[in-house]
Amino acid sequence: MIEKLVLMSGYGFFVWLSFAITLFACSIVYYRTYKTLKKYEKAFAKELKELSDSERKKVLENSKIANQVFASYNKSI
Amino acid sequence: MFYFISPSKIFKWIERVTDFINSIFFVVLIIGLTFALLISPPDYLQGDSVRIMYVHVPSAWISLASFTCIAFLSFLTFLLKLKNLNLISKSIAPIGLLFTFLAIATGSLWGKPTWGTWWVWDARLTSMVILLLFYVLYILSTKIFKDEDKANKVSGLIAIVGLINIPIIKYSVDWWSTLHQPQSINILSGSSSIHSSMLFPLMLMLLVLLLYCALIFLMKYKTEIIRIKRKNVKRL
Repeated sequence: MIEKLVLMSGYGFFVWLSFAITLFACSIVYYRTYKTLKKYEKAFAKELKELSDSERKKVLENSKIANQVFASYNKSI
Repeated sequence: MFYFISPSKIFKWIERVTDFINSIFFVVLIIGLTFALLISPPDYLQGDSVRIMYVHVPSAWISLASFTCIAFLSFLTFLLKLKNLNLISKSIAPIGLLFTFLAIATGSLWGKPTWGTWWVWDARLTSMVILLLFYVLYILSTKIFKDEDKANKVSGLIAIVGLINIPIIKYSVDWWSTLHQPQSINILSGSSSIHSSMLFPLMLMLLVLLLYCALIFLMKYKTEIIRIKRKNVKRL
């Protein structure tokens, strides 16, 4: 049964390569997108951290996005 | 309506939706692969090579749908001057590029056992390569120009011009004599000439790839929002 699945009546090379290329390309894109997101989140949170206390407080009050990024960054460290 | 599509409104939902997709993705993927590689029957003519359809066809659909979406959003951006729509377009573009490449690569792998050749410059294949070039041009234009307004205008224009290619791809198999088979499924009318034993795995694999697209889109969109916010951190 395994042999039949691997060989697929002689089409195994084409079928498995198609699925492998799809999985590989999708994994690469996922990994790169995830890494870029984390890099930006980290850089943004660091910039917020470098602000003075009053500035940071004002920014976090005004921007929900900054607030969420800062909170999730603090949670992750 | 525009209030609900503002980045700050969407941002808080991104994490929840991403978590939900992550929680179901691998289950759906395994079910989809089981049906595509094990349960679905071989074709009476093409044999097991027909299984390539389960990655090739959804990839092609997604590539066409993504570009149509980008062009439509670019048109709306010109009309309504909403920058958020541009962020959405920019987040869709890498997905479209990936799936256009996959449609071409898996199509080539399907072509060899069925047509006897990896590649032929016929109408369908050539128009897909043109679509790939439009995606590359679109993504390059968003990165090359330093001035964001100029970049948005140029990329929007590329998307709108590239939209002409979409009906050409779709109807190329009817308008010209090509090696590529005519469409078996018409999404617009909902009709299909594929047997349910193959249609169900096809739809499952489409779902898997759509979930993947949603994940990539959400991460990319989040990155774009943070990138914009970072530029004006003191003015927030």
